Amino acid sequence: MPRTKGYPEALEKKLADTRLYEDERHPEFTKTVEKLSMSIPHMCYQCGTCTASCPSAPRSSYRIRKFVRRALLGLEDEALTDPDLWLCTTCYSCTDRCPRDIAPTDVIMAMRNLAFKRDIIPVNFLKTVQAIYTTGHGVPNNDVNRAARKKLGMNPEPPTTHAFPQYVKGIQKIIDYYELKKNADRIVKEREG
Amino acid sequence: MREYAFFLGCIAPNRYPGAESASYKTAEKLGIKLLDLEGASCCPAPGAFGSISLEIWYAMAARNLCLAEQMKKDIALICNGCYKSIWEVNHKLKQHKELKEKVNEVLKTIDMEFKGTIDVWHLAELFYDPEIVGVQKIRDSVKVSLEGTRIAVHYGCHLMKPRKERHFGTTEHPTWLEEMVGALGAEPVEYRNKMLCCGAGGGVRGYDLVHSLDITNEKMINLKEARVDALTEVCPFCQLQFDRGQIEIEEKFGVKYNLPVLHYCELLGLAQGMSPQELALDLHGISCEPFLQKVL
Amino acid sequence: MAEKKTKKETASKKKETPKAAVSAKTEKAPAVKAPATEQKKARVGVFICHCGTNIAGSVDIPDVQEYAKSLPNVAFADNYQYMCSTPGQSKIIAAIKENDLTGIVVAACSPRLHEPTFRTATKEGGLNPFRFEMANIREQGSWVHMHDREGATDKAKDAIRIAVAKASLLQDLVPKTVPVEHAAMVVGAGIAGMQAALDLANAGIKTYLIEKNPTIGGRMSQLDKTFPTLDCSQCILTPKMVDVGRAENIDLMTCAEVENVEGYIGNFDVTIRRKARGVLTPAEAEAKGIVGGGCNGCGDCEAVCPVIKPNPFEMGMKPRKAIYIYHPQVVPLIYTIDWDSCIKCGLCVEVCGEKKAIDLEMKDELVKVKVGTAILATGYDLFPIEKKEEWGYKKYENVVTSLEFERLICASGPTGGHLVRPSDGVTPKKVAFLLCAGSRDNTGVGKPYCSRFCCMYSLKHAHQIIEKIPGVQPYIFYMDIRSFGKMYEEFYYRIQDEGAKFMRGRVANVLEDPDTKNLLINAEDTLLNRPIKLEVDMVVLAAAVEPAAETDRTRKLFGVSRSMDGWLLEAHPKLNPCGTTTAGVFLAGVCQGPKDIPDTVASAEGAASAASIPIHKGEVELEPYFAQCIEEKCAGCGMCVNLCPYQALSLVEKEGRTVMQVTEAKCKGCGTCGGFCPGGAIWMQHFATPQIIAQIDAFLIGGAK
Repeated sequence: MPRTKGYPEALEKKLADTRLYEDERHPEFTKTVEKLSMSIPHMCYQCGTCTASCPSAPRSSYRIRKFVRRALLGLEDEALTDPDLWLCTTCYSCTDRCPRDIAPTDVIMAMRNLAFKRDIIPVNFLKTVQAIYTTGHGVPNNDVNRAARKKLGMNPEPPTTHAFPQYVKGIQKIIDYYELKKNADRIVKEREG
Repeated sequence: MREYAFFLGCIAPNRYPGAESASYKTAEKLGIKLLDLEGASCCPAPGAFGSISLEIWYAMAARNLCLAEQMKKDIALICNGCYKSIWEVNHKLKQHKELKEKVNEVLKTIDMEFKGTIDVWHLAELFYDPEIVGVQKIRDSVKVSLEGTRIAVHYGCHLMKPRKERHFGTTEHPTWLEEMVGALGAEPVEYRNKMLCCGAGGGVRGYDLVHSLDITNEKMINLKEARVDALTEVCPFCQLQFDRGQIEIEEKFGVKYNLPVLHYCELLGLAQGMSPQELALDLHGISCEPFLQKVL
Repeated sequence: MAEKKTKKETASKKKETPKAAVSAKTEKAPAVKAPATEQKKARVGVFICHCGTNIAGSVDIPDVQEYAKSLPNVAFADNYQYMCSTPGQSKIIAAIKENDLTGIVVAACSPRLHEPTFRTATKEGGLNPFRFEMANIREQGSWVHMHDREGATDKAKDAIRIAVAKASLLQDLVPKTVPVEHAAMVVGAGIAGMQAALDLANAGIKTYLIEKNPTIGGRMSQLDKTFPTLDCSQCILTPKMVDVGRAENIDLMTCAEVENVEGYIGNFDVTIRRKARGVLTPAEAEAKGIVGGGCNGCGDCEAVCPVIKPNPFEMGMKPRKAIYIYHPQVVPLIYTIDWDSCIKCGLCVEVCGEKKAIDLEMKDELVKVKVGTAILATGYDLFPIEKKEEWGYKKYENVVTSLEFERLICASGPTGGHLVRPSDGVTPKKVAFLLCAGSRDNTGVGKPYCSRFCCMYSLKHAHQIIEKIPGVQPYIFYMDIRSFGKMYEEFYYRIQDEGAKFMRGRVANVLEDPDTKNLLINAEDTLLNRPIKLEVDMVVLAAAVEPAAETDRTRKLFGVSRSMDGWLLEAHPKLNPCGTTTAGVFLAGVCQGPKDIPDTVASAEGAASAASIPIHKGEVELEPYFAQCIEEKCAGCGMCVNLCPYQALSLVEKEGRTVMQVTEAKCKGCGTCGGFCPGGAIWMQHFATPQIIAQIDAFLIGGAK
């Protein structure tokens, strides 16, 4: 952790110690990320091919190269608490071009999984889970669409969990197996009341 | 007639039913019968679900795969996002025994088991494959040539990337979808940075809409420069981002493009003689009228 | 763990068996073949090396020594810090005398390192040097089981037990000496091959220099200037080319390829295919009775030839005719016909007239030569960089490779040294150099290694455009600038001072503006932490290098291996970089791995020196690992004769019987025949069946504990 100096709050913030200390590093974090991502971020040589391939980089402070570096160094807190973690569109351009054959996209996905374990997650992700839990669909049917389907001579409900709601129970069982719905509801409630 | 279990996903059946309808009909004309995959759910969304927990994503996708395994049919689908979930989970579970066992532990609670007995295909790749359909048969099925139109292609990301895991060859300069557009009589048009992402994936559309739209807008600028009549893709989620996204772009950034965006199956449907009404093109956010006028 | 225990139990249970087994074999050996010397009762000395802590750090030396003492036939056991040191060797010498030893085992490193050392010590102690056996307890023991002391100790015991079993049965052997042909061959006449040939020739050795192209000079002759001195490549190369052409001791064969190689160090019989060039040299003409004829390089033929083809020397950017020379300074100055494009119209023959130099019906010729040693200097090609699709080579016209750039900036090149864009002939004002294009690439598409000279030539390229084009801006996209040679870092300083912009980031992709054919570069300035989008007029790819196309065919002819990366494998990466595992065959220049010109020349001189040693000595000793025919057992079936990969075996009549005979100098002791012989009639010296069976028995049945 960066050292605190015992200054008054404003000065503590202004003069915060920005040096990297060895105790910020968690080698376990590197290993966990590698296992989840099935990739090898510890082999990164920081060429920047990933950032240069990234559609999010030119319009934000998101630098995929930095996240891979954090994975390599084991900078768990810095990686997981950075809101840029959620700006990856998972386009896999970096993965296709990485000369060291790392899959930076999958490294990001692994880090997001680990962030979620700390309740760090944008609410929209959880809302998708809630929708699927209720209907089986992340983007469920609506009345305008039902009417259109009818006009096309189709069943207003597609032959998915919509027309066969009995299948929803199985989906709920899987989600409950991981207590995901419970956690999603809790976090959404904490954020939105 | 080859038969496939048709995995619908969410956006096509619930937002662009014309794309769903067109898929059944165009495929049938090309010798492919698409069968209902009863009880299928969201793939689930690889960005949203995968970000939360890859493990749950595997299990949820595996449930959909099991439904097709029970039908003893390969899956065909029309969405790149679905392809990412359904194809990739199928591939990974077949490859990693440990992962498969873990997933089957969960599936056991709903009396299902992933066996790894089927394959997953995007309908577009089945259309392109000369051993199944092939460009020539597509050309032969055309009743209303799209001649005189300039059409750009958006490949999307999750069908072909990561290249090493997939089987589509180049992800830098692909042209196979252009060939399929050319088969309809239209002129396929190259444009700058064709392989750029639509901007919607990875949960970014929900997390930071303007960020996601700014990527889309970069594509729109390049498309405008190429003076195209329409954009076609093979992913309803990309379609949503380009189609409804243009309305949002106008709202947020004050720029207007009015570029019609059609799923390849919709485009093929038109060329095979389906009417705009049969394709429910009126549900599109951006009117397809200017394009239709050139064609019909 | 469980497995280990079982093995130990087995070993102790059968405690008594091995002695019987081993001694039984000992008795049997003389029955198979009467050995050259009387076999005394075996008395083996075992010496265990600590190698500092390399071995002692993970092997319990006292325990291993006690174990060794308990083994059958072991008369003496000792250990020392460094067995390879003088005191270590003295221990062996002393022990042989004091303990009347018949065989020596040193348990230490790989025999590839110190077998010769300990053989010498064995000899100095009064024993035949082949009564030495090495147990490798370092590379295959302590190093790979560094964190398993018990396991490493057990494995060391196994290795020693096996070595003792063999050492008990070793026999006196005498190496064979063969004369060395006073001639050498160099394959490839780039700067490496030329330098090696010149050195050999100057040392008084007849040297055959074989080049597949119509001229010598290789890659270096395609370069404009050389770093860091900036002297003109052709200016420093052509004097050497002329020297090669004139050297009395050099028999230069261009348009030639090695077709077949037979024999061994000292006596290689090499067949060379002299490809039909379609044009006679003055000497060849004279031999045919055409006095004063043959090609004089006048070029009249070229002027009348109607066929136009791209010139590969100019990377296809300049035309040549079907009868051509690469460039005006070729050696030899003899025209060549490209048979693939010649339409045999006969115009050239007509214009050549009385010189009668052109023969449109010429055929390939096979020439046989005998040489004592050979040097491979087969060089490199550029990796086909279009395989890295993200940079658009062969898709975008203004993306060129570094070799194309060399020709474009060279005064004798297709544009007279004016760098222009291939798309429109306009002089570029912004040029991006992409380093590590296909090098340091672990994707399986490019090359995992550093190509080693791209950094420096790209700096040179930047300098060249700054010098030639006012207002030009070079951008160098790099990951690390590797400027490690003499005056190289200073050169880097100079180029930075001249105004080249160094962007620390690898280029992700290049896109083309279809209207202007300008190129858009996407990279990250990793030092600024910002993505870069840069529009340039031209992109130069510092493409990775790979072994020249025909390297693999050539190396197989000479029995040379290649390393994992495809480059030819040296005998030792540090201590024998010019040698190969085939005695008498050496490597020069880039075929062994990427090298710049100074390193290539140094390597060539090293190879020439190494290749000249056996020739100057006049004879070489061959390791006596020959197959021997036990004539009383040989049925004369001859099946072994066809199996032998070295044509070392033949059938002869002896005392009214047909038996096999070994040409010892050709035999490499590979054992193919010995393993196959249905009658057990072939005795592989030093790897004899009883010796090997004793080793296997010792391992499987175990020794005393």
